[in-house]
Amino acid sequence: MVANANKKSKEKVKPRGREMAWEREIRTDFRVREGQDGLIKGHVEGLVEARKRKRLRQDTEPFQRGIIRHVALVLDLSEAMLEKDMRPNRYLVTLKYTQEYIREFFEQNPISQMLILAMYDGICIKISDLSGNPSTHISALIALRNPRNPREVAKEPKGSPSLQNALEHARASLHHTPSHGTREVIIILGALLSLDPGDIFKTISACVADHLRVAIIGMAGRLRICQEICAKTNANDPSSYTVALDQTHFRELLLATTTPPVIRKPTAAAQAANPASLLLMGFPSRVIEDSPTLCACHGQLTRGGYTCSRCMAKVCSLPSTCPSCHLTLILSTHLARSYHHLFPLRNWVEVSWQRALKKGSVQCTGCLTAFPPVPADMRDSKGKGKVTNGNHESNGVNGAVRQEKVEGASESSRYECETCGEHFCIDCDLFCHEVVHNCPGCQSSVPEGDVVQGQNGAAGDGNRMDVD
Amino acid sequence: MNAIDATDRTFRSPDAPPPSLLTIILDTNPHAWAHLEPTLPLQKAIANLLVFINAHLAFNHSNEVAVLASHSQKIQWLYPTPKPPSHNLTRPASPRPNGASNGTHSAHDDANKYRPFRIVEQQILANLSALLASTTSSDLSSTTTTLISGALTTALTYIAKAALAHAPPTDPSASLNVADPSPTFMDANDGTTSRARTTLTSRILVLSVSGDLAAQYIPVMNAIFAAQRQRIPIDILKIAGDTVFLQQACDATGGVYMEAQEPAGLLQYLMMSFLPDATARDFLVLPSGGAVDFRAACFCHEKIVELGWVCSVCLSIFCGPPEHNQCLTCGNQLSMASTLPKPPALIQRKKKKKKRAAGDGASAGVTPSGTPGPA
Repeated sequence: MVANANKKSKEKVKPRGREMAWEREIRTDFRVREGQDGLIKGHVEGLVEARKRKRLRQDTEPFQRGIIRHVALVLDLSEAMLEKDMRPNRYLVTLKYTQEYIREFFEQNPISQMLILAMYDGICIKISDLSGNPSTHISALIALRNPRNPREVAKEPKGSPSLQNALEHARASLHHTPSHGTREVIIILGALLSLDPGDIFKTISACVADHLRVAIIGMAGRLRICQEICAKTNANDPSSYTVALDQTHFRELLLATTTPPVIRKPTAAAQAANPASLLLMGFPSRVIEDSPTLCACHGQLTRGGYTCSRCMAKVCSLPSTCPSCHLTLILSTHLARSYHHLFPLRNWVEVSWQRALKKGSVQCTGCLTAFPPVPADMRDSKGKGKVTNGNHESNGVNGAVRQEKVEGASESSRYECETCGEHFCIDCDLFCHEVVHNCPGCQSSVPEGDVVQGQNGAAGDGNRMDVD
Repeated sequence: MNAIDATDRTFRSPDAPPPSLLTIILDTNPHAWAHLEPTLPLQKAIANLLVFINAHLAFNHSNEVAVLASHSQKIQWLYPTPKPPSHNLTRPASPRPNGASNGTHSAHDDANKYRPFRIVEQQILANLSALLASTTSSDLSSTTTTLISGALTTALTYIAKAALAHAPPTDPSASLNVADPSPTFMDANDGTTSRARTTLTSRILVLSVSGDLAAQYIPVMNAIFAAQRQRIPIDILKIAGDTVFLQQACDATGGVYMEAQEPAGLLQYLMMSFLPDATARDFLVLPSGGAVDFRAACFCHEKIVELGWVCSVCLSIFCGPPEHNQCLTCGNQLSMASTLPKPPALIQRKKKKKKRAAGDGASAGVTPSGTPGPA
């Protein structure tokens, strides 16, 4: 009763639509509806497709992204990490996902650098130094629990975390990094407190002055101070502060930070202070030698390696800086890995039955999987007026009953690339946007339209005209 | 909660070799084949290729093959045959030239041929002749290269779908996790499934005859990384021409790169170097390795460069500093400060210390080294 009264009084005070999440009616996104044929299969398939596509429906506008990143990853090694709400406990889950994260990070950002810190017993300790080699970070993480030196004890979470110490340590470690890269701090925070030796707000403003961008992934609940840190260091945008709901969500949030951050429109003053620069880089080729020669980086005898494009010194591995002429040596594949962030593939659009009929697509252009055929009533009518209300008239003569599909999924299970006009299935849609970043249709024809048009012949042309 | 699932736990015998999907990309660039005519005519190459495909199919009855033609102006599936778009649905069984030729073939086909071989052979020949017949002289004059990026992308989507179809239906997240094929993490997730990832091993074989693919640099690179993530080796048999990027593709994905010195011996190259699938290759000494050309193509003139200028914002490669120091891709003003030769860092000479009075130094104990006094 009391609660009820409270709620009513709140409703009076607040404008409508601002009530708390638990006050709202239960949203039934997952209500399964029957199709025309009395089966729920179509609807369930639609739900699955919509779920798959939800991950794709993000902005594909080419942003400027900071490709050369310098990241300090701060782990929480405080008592709170011994909580068992994640299995087996938060600490082990974090270690496991962090290893995965490091591999993925360097896969996505091959010319970036990372260091790992940990908030342990009130202070901030360094786990690994700033480097671009994933294996050193991963072995340092493994050494936390299984130290290589048998006299050392495995590190277990202890004490309280200190956000201020972590920020100061990260700021100092990233201080020397060049200005054309980003400086980022990613903090995984399990605790609900921060035990700081001084005024954290001074630290925050120092971080802002140093162009540090802080992202915090919480494991317990939202903290005001974390929101403050993220907002202040990200131009008043607190969206980099996220809190994991559960283990899988935590993994998603963590892996989401492997995408290079969008560069904010710099102010004129900032641009003058550190402009984008043109870097001279060498793309050396690998050589194999019959007799071993000394490498310039370690002074060891090796049989092969990469010769610097400028001074022909031999280095063992890439990316690196030539020890003799200080040229940045890099594999062109390292640069090419980042291009899909810069030239993203445009999202494909859902295809209505009418459009599918016009195109006459019967199978996916990418994988040759057959599409569901156009329902009979659509084929007969071919009218434009009946499209919207034609649902009730479907009779399922041809075995294909039109189903009301879910928001986000295409009713005809086809997805169209607007550039080349080809139709694809949901799996190819996912695969092309998440893995390949190419459109098979666009890549398979010459961009000059006239050649292709001539190929298709008169019938194809006529149809295209109809559609337009 | 995790224990309740509707998975079909049929027992698969683990010792049966996994099926292998071989996707062949045949570069049918007419210009290059015209060049090769004296040593290796296209008909002979196709005949050799068909023998190779038959050998692959004969290895294991569940082996599959897919053949793509990367032509000069489009990509054409040779096998399996794509269905033509059904524009006219009122007349479903319209006779198409494709179907007609199929019919005539099967009519006087010898019954002694193993049926899978015959089907593949028929479709490839029919589709290829249709493709060649559809090539007009305007197509020939418009371009001299081939659409290898489109062929690689299409092959990858086909393989991805085939892998999904073959994957054991245990984990619903398998289909959702195309971007994350790494088996170790999936297994560690909650311990419910310790499945082998996909039971299908796939690979791509490119029979390349054309060079100069610099115009398709980014899409080819994207395809290479996708293949790398999906652990699909890309094998290259280079019959003619010279491409840098296909060599990088082999190196990145762990495929076999071979340059055919004697194009007439195509069949031997195919059988000796490219027939073993990924499972068998673990036990063989592969003919690749050696020097790899890692040069990149510049964005401004599509030249292949060894020493390039890179924009720090968008990582575009230029063969020289662009005009007005403005990036051609992202339009940012670029500073050249970092490329200017820095003055060599010299160690500053230490200023000579003023000599102190001898007595002073001794009393301050400047040199505590040496053997301690008897006191």
